[in-house]
Amino acid sequence: MKKSKIWLILSTLLITALLITGCGGGGTENKQAEGEKAAADGGDTIKIGFLGAKTGGHAAYGVETLKGMKMAVEDINNAGGILGKKLEIVEEDHGSKLSEGTTVTQKLITRDKVVAIVGDPTTGITKAAAPIAQQNKVVLISAGAVSTGVVEIGDYIFRDVLVDAVGGPAVTKYLKEKLGWQKVVIVTSSNLDYSVGLTKIFEDAIAANGIEVLERVTYSEGDQNFSAQVTKIKDKNPDGIIFTGYYTEGGLFMKEARKQGVTAPMVGGDGLLSDVLMKMGGEAVEGSMVYCGFAADEARAGEKTKKFIEAYKAGNNGALPDMFSAQGYDAVMLLADAMKAANSDDPVKFRDELAKTKDWSGVSGTITFQENREPIKSPVYLLEVKDGKFQIKDTVDVI
Amino acid sequence: MLSQQILNGITLGATYALIALGYTMVYGIIQLINFAHGEIYMVGAFVGVLAVTVFQQGLVASLLMAMLTCVILGVSIERIAYRPLRRSTRLAPLISAIGVSIFLQTLMTKLQGPQPVPFPPVITDALYKIGPIEVSKVQILIMVVASLLMAALTFIVKYVKIGKAMRAASEDYDTAALMGINVNRVISFTFAIGSSLAAAGGVLVGIYFNSVSPFMGVTAGLKAFCAAVLGGIGSIPGAMLGGLFLGVAETLGVAGGFDTYKDAIAFSLLIIVLLFRPTGLLGRPIQRKV
Repeated sequence: MKKSKIWLILSTLLITALLITGCGGGGTENKQAEGEKAAADGGDTIKIGFLGAKTGGHAAYGVETLKGMKMAVEDINNAGGILGKKLEIVEEDHGSKLSEGTTVTQKLITRDKVVAIVGDPTTGITKAAAPIAQQNKVVLISAGAVSTGVVEIGDYIFRDVLVDAVGGPAVTKYLKEKLGWQKVVIVTSSNLDYSVGLTKIFEDAIAANGIEVLERVTYSEGDQNFSAQVTKIKDKNPDGIIFTGYYTEGGLFMKEARKQGVTAPMVGGDGLLSDVLMKMGGEAVEGSMVYCGFAADEARAGEKTKKFIEAYKAGNNGALPDMFSAQGYDAVMLLADAMKAANSDDPVKFRDELAKTKDWSGVSGTITFQENREPIKSPVYLLEVKDGKFQIKDTVDVI
Repeated sequence: MLSQQILNGITLGATYALIALGYTMVYGIIQLINFAHGEIYMVGAFVGVLAVTVFQQGLVASLLMAMLTCVILGVSIERIAYRPLRRSTRLAPLISAIGVSIFLQTLMTKLQGPQPVPFPPVITDALYKIGPIEVSKVQILIMVVASLLMAALTFIVKYVKIGKAMRAASEDYDTAALMGINVNRVISFTFAIGSSLAAAGGVLVGIYFNSVSPFMGVTAGLKAFCAAVLGGIGSIPGAMLGGLFLGVAETLGVAGGFDTYKDAIAFSLLIIVLLFRPTGLLGRPIQRKV
């Protein structure tokens, strides 16, 4: 009796679940059709989705991207909007979780009916979300994904960042020629897409520049204990440590390295670019270098960038914008310009205009989309941690 | 370099052992695998951070604060989540433990955010050279504190009245009760001791790795559980041995380039040991009660 009751409940639940998902699947198409219609008819606003983390492991990136996007939307709306409509950002938070990233993307497209998505700032989640945007013919422009395999997903996928394939080799050349590095160790996060990709780029560039790799060590995301890895590299006496992971582990790794007496500085991509690096690493990360596509360099900045930096400072208690806020700003501006050029907010139409972007000057630098929608951006900024702050060490020209 | 790696492993293993003791003692007495134990360790680490940053305490005081807080936490968890279920199926308190564990994790995420927090510098670290190996002050501290706590525990269990009661209860719970032992008190005491050891482990790990996160209890808890079973669940020296064994194995595995399999190493070892010694390294033979 009891058993059969349980079975009854279970099977009812199962059937309900099936029915709901079944309906959901069918409904999506309808909603999507409605969405396109709504977009074509034109509501009062044009919706742009924000895909990123406001909480979780890489929240620092998402929060900054969103700040930049909001500033861009404010600027556009104050100037009268585009095509007679106001821009609006639809925010969601995926909490730095890959699975949530795809859910949020789906929600933005089907429920909120956005015409474009800005995000995700990380390569991993962008790669998971991009196929959904591509299928639904919604433009996705990542303001942070720097590793490989992003734009290959489809012709609706863009990014406005300095990609690692451009930045990594340029920086490696600089390390060899300007800093005289001969031998290095490479540290990779073996379960992080971004890190594995960047390591590959560095390995190639290192080989091309005739630098010797003394040792390769790996760790996993979320690790806190790096004693074994550091013990392995400490007798090798490298000129530098190439660290391709994220800031939390970067800071902890350097802390352990200094504890065991390793004095070599660390170099990494923008995965290390967060104040959390200094928070976790303290004095151990002094002298660590990070390259990225944008730095708030008031001395070198153009008129547009200066204005952006001023506006950002005014809204953030004098803090300076980082690459994520600048690229978030530029992503929205790129979309707005493409919509104006296409005279439409239909992604099918303004996608073509976006792909034609050439020598477009944004606050984060000059951007050109190549044939494959891969951006070329110059210069590369090399930052160094000094007195607990990122400071510009040099700029490296790419072309 | 091998000896250096073994030292790294022993340091890690000492912290595993501290947590494993809690698992093993609770299991020994009420046959419950307290899956919330890893979270007690995590809470202990956070109390340590709080003690240093907010209350400006030194090392000893923050260790004691963390231990005391977790004693209260551990005993309350037992009262609220396990005691009412003691006479129900074995599965019920286990599920309850998993619930408590998830609750504590999410609570801590809510309170301080999901990002790891650095442990404030509470002692100035130094490096000492002993022959070919270098040992840091923090490593010495971990090993000394862990040894002291384990020695104290052994003393209590062997020679103090409540310890004797614990042993009696673990032999036979019902008979011990019939003999006039206040079993509820014994169980509360077991939770208190186990939790305080876990809290100490949390603070030490926080100092050693310089970072504390709401999710640190998950893997550490599983590893310690693994260590307890490896050494023979219910056996106190077994838990210590299992912890050290695991710490060294894991560190050597990472040093050998198998870092991706770091967590798998512990469980593979567990399976291998259980295949050949079903009761663990120092476990008692199963037939004893028959």
